[in-house]
Amino acid sequence: MSLFTNLFGKKSSSADVARDRLKLVLAHERASNALPYMEEMKAELMEVIKKYTKVKDVQITSQNNQNIDVLEMEIILK
Amino acid sequence: MGIVITVTSGKGGVGKSTTLANLAVGMADEGKKVVAVDFDIGLRNLDMLLGLENRIVYNVIDVMEGKCNLTQALINDKHSKNLYFLPASQTSDKNILNKEKVNVLLESLKKEFDIILLDSPAGIEGGFEHAIAFADRALIISTPDVSSVRDADRVIGIIDAKSEKAKAGEEVLKHVIINRVKPELVERGDMLNTEDVLNILALPLIGVVPDCEKVISSTNLGEPIIRDKNAQSGEAYRRISKRILGEEVDYLDLSVKKGFFKRMFG
Repeated sequence: MSLFTNLFGKKSSSADVARDRLKLVLAHERASNALPYMEEMKAELMEVIKKYTKVKDVQITSQNNQNIDVLEMEIILK
Repeated sequence: MGIVITVTSGKGGVGKSTTLANLAVGMADEGKKVVAVDFDIGLRNLDMLLGLENRIVYNVIDVMEGKCNLTQALINDKHSKNLYFLPASQTSDKNILNKEKVNVLLESLKKEFDIILLDSPAGIEGGFEHAIAFADRALIISTPDVSSVRDADRVIGIIDAKSEKAKAGEEVLKHVIINRVKPELVERGDMLNTEDVLNILALPLIGVVPDCEKVISSTNLGEPIIRDKNAQSGEAYRRISKRILGEEVDYLDLSVKKGFFKRMFG
């Protein structure tokens, strides 16, 4: 199929489109749904950070790079 | 001690109960003592798929509430002495299930049966959570379409978060069954193929069931298709039953060229 696509510039099949759309939407959903403890953890982190400095917000995003799950934390100061 | 296998999907209408009914028959035929429990409280359906709707006296809620004992509510299958069925109630009170009572029920079923198959309701609400809370294994049913795969993915995440096994640091063994595959469409590039679905869900496969018109008439009759020796989907269910029990079985050849079954009977 992919050879065809390359040779004749045929547009990708509907299954290909479905797969790509699914991958995108799930990557997004997993990041927001996979961590049920997120809100609680955020609140606790805020408390800890407040002890030392003035904090406005803590943003935590989860990412998946190949086989490593990463939590990235961004501390926004006041 | 028996094991609890929850059949679930997230999205409704993908063939959850049909799959469960067939696998229940399949594993009973393999010599296991099986009970199929309809956990779709308020929307009883498994009874009709198994052709046992006329035999219901008590239901699973009656057992949990102590209105009858387990043996009074269990219904033996017409054909298989190894297979029993525990119907859902038709009450509309969604909150009637209670985790502790579910646990007690499952523990007593584990003493009597090798395999306890739970038919989870669609969705991710209370009823679904009760159905997966005490699962040892889960079979996630998905059809090869975007909504079904997306919901299956969601459900997998919830199993990992909400089951007692997961809470105890163990893992619920999870497998995917891809249902209603149309090989012609896959070949044409108009339906997600098996690898696509597995890739996205990141779970091992335990079966692929081809879309099969015979399933409709078998549902009409209340005779699971697995008993039809000539149906391709029945053969798929027989093989899945064996795989669940640990046997290694080849996958059905679903390529478009006329297969053995079609040549013989098609």
